[in-house]
Amino acid sequence: MSPALNEKPFAEELPAASAAGVILDGRYLPPPEDKDGKLWVRTSALVQADAQELYAMWHDVEAAPAWQEQISQVVTTGERISHWTMQSDEKTIEWDSEILADEPGRRIAWRSIGGESDNAGEVIFEEAPGGRGTIVTVLQEFRMGKLTSAWETFVGRNPKQAVIENLRHFKALAETGEIPRAKHQPHGDRGVIGKMKASTYGEKVPIPSGSN
Amino acid sequence: MKAVCWMGKSKVETLTVEDPQLLNPHDAIIKITRTAICGSDLHLYDGFIPTMESGDILGHEFMGIVEEAGKEVTNLRRGDRVVVPFTIACGNCLFCKKKIWAACDNSNPNAHLMEAAYGYSGSGLFGYSHMMGGYAGGQAQYARVPFANVGPLKIENDLPDEKVLFLSDIFPTGYMAAENAQIQPGDTVAVWGCGPVGQFAIASAFMLGAARVIAIDRLPERLEMARSLGAITVDYSEEDVSVLTALKDLTGGIGPDACIDAVGLEAHSAQLQGTYDKIKVALLMETDRPSVLRQAIQAIRKGGTLSVPGVYGGLLDKVPFGAAFGKGITMKMGQTNMHNYMKPLLERIENGQIDPSYIISHRITLDQAPEMYKVWRDKKENVTKIVIDPWAETAA
Repeated sequence: MSPALNEKPFAEELPAASAAGVILDGRYLPPPEDKDGKLWVRTSALVQADAQELYAMWHDVEAAPAWQEQISQVVTTGERISHWTMQSDEKTIEWDSEILADEPGRRIAWRSIGGESDNAGEVIFEEAPGGRGTIVTVLQEFRMGKLTSAWETFVGRNPKQAVIENLRHFKALAETGEIPRAKHQPHGDRGVIGKMKASTYGEKVPIPSGSN
Repeated sequence: MKAVCWMGKSKVETLTVEDPQLLNPHDAIIKITRTAICGSDLHLYDGFIPTMESGDILGHEFMGIVEEAGKEVTNLRRGDRVVVPFTIACGNCLFCKKKIWAACDNSNPNAHLMEAAYGYSGSGLFGYSHMMGGYAGGQAQYARVPFANVGPLKIENDLPDEKVLFLSDIFPTGYMAAENAQIQPGDTVAVWGCGPVGQFAIASAFMLGAARVIAIDRLPERLEMARSLGAITVDYSEEDVSVLTALKDLTGGIGPDACIDAVGLEAHSAQLQGTYDKIKVALLMETDRPSVLRQAIQAIRKGGTLSVPGVYGGLLDKVPFGAAFGKGITMKMGQTNMHNYMKPLLERIENGQIDPSYIISHRITLDQAPEMYKVWRDKKENVTKIVIDPWAETAA
């Protein structure tokens, strides 16, 4: 288990984060394994921006729909609480999210508190070796079952991949001010197989708006 | 608009499709005035590059006039004349800052597909599969160009399109091949493949100080062109010619200081190994036919540099890595870091050092493109380079 995020965030307090949950006492820490009805994903990105700026961008939860796939709206409803709406085609799921830890410029941890999503996560911002930017590491946990099937059905992506893609969008938006996209370009007839493949490529999932 | 679309292996059609739109703040729409078919488009035609889909617009060598610029594109205006690099780069990620533009972190919307195959994703490319970005290509009347504030090179002289068009890919690609070969003044350089990239690699090798360039191919029109640049040619298809012996004979027995593989994954070989590779590819036991790579590793001198501008896509069989190690060679390769070369090479064209249009053999319309893919693939009609005027009508 990574000390970056407690394996049972619903039952225990989060321990202090180590270096992005990837190194402990000079040793590499592998990501937590999927077990006991939980699914984990850890992913990282090297971003050319400073940690404070990236922290502020992540902390602005109401702006999350600009870079998180299929998040249609986030409303701050309390000092540490926000209400999240996720939409795909005609289906919508909603949940509340609570911030568990908030260290400006360094770390944010959260968990869902009721609603149709059962998740917890943490993001850590730290200077890359050699001052080559900021390493952003995200650790996200989902409960399997209802949630996973909801995510897979709704998102059209593997839930772990969705976390990876969201961090990719976050990095692109931070570095370039936009999120790259190739949908809605002209093309000839795709045929039956081509249309099916658009789904396997993840090209059916709408790309978040970025700065548009 | 009209566009050349990939509709399956060995199937290309010119179709009427929708016009492109601005999708992001750094996009521009280019009205294309000249575009070309690249040798690497033949790898798509032959079905060697995965994740091509029916309907994809082909083409990554194009230039034109800015029709519309996105709100964050501050360096271009409607009416500017530009050449567009085939690799798309954001200009802000670690790789762009290091000037390894072809490794841009932010320009491939389908990076996850490439990560699965290659570990990490390179930059997005125009018209070159969904794995490489899924961007619509430039064998069309208009194209959307992402990160237009970073890539397109403004042409502010009155040189005709044909003289500057090849700054979009093959001239920089040939030049980077010669630069990657780490040529020292007085070196002997061997170039496999005398298609467009090979031609520009030969010309660039001389620019960088090579004393002798040896050009290897089988097509008379290409070998003739290579000789016109000053190269000594070896026709590997002649019965009594052994490339390895020829390279020894032409270097006093030590082998070329640098070798350039401008052929890539669809190498032809007159020898038994050509058949061997075709069988292994057919049985899905390898994806590429690396006979040139094998030969170059074998031929190169001890401590030499092997530069690979030819495209490879997947898994190669029987590559003599022991020979590479045993001779202590250096290998350099990859998609071209276009943005490093476009401006300096434009200057070489402007000051008359080179006129890249010498390689053009065919000038066609969009409607003629499907037929010309086949002609070029089959190496007929002495094709060396096909340029398309997307606004010309085919004579009835």
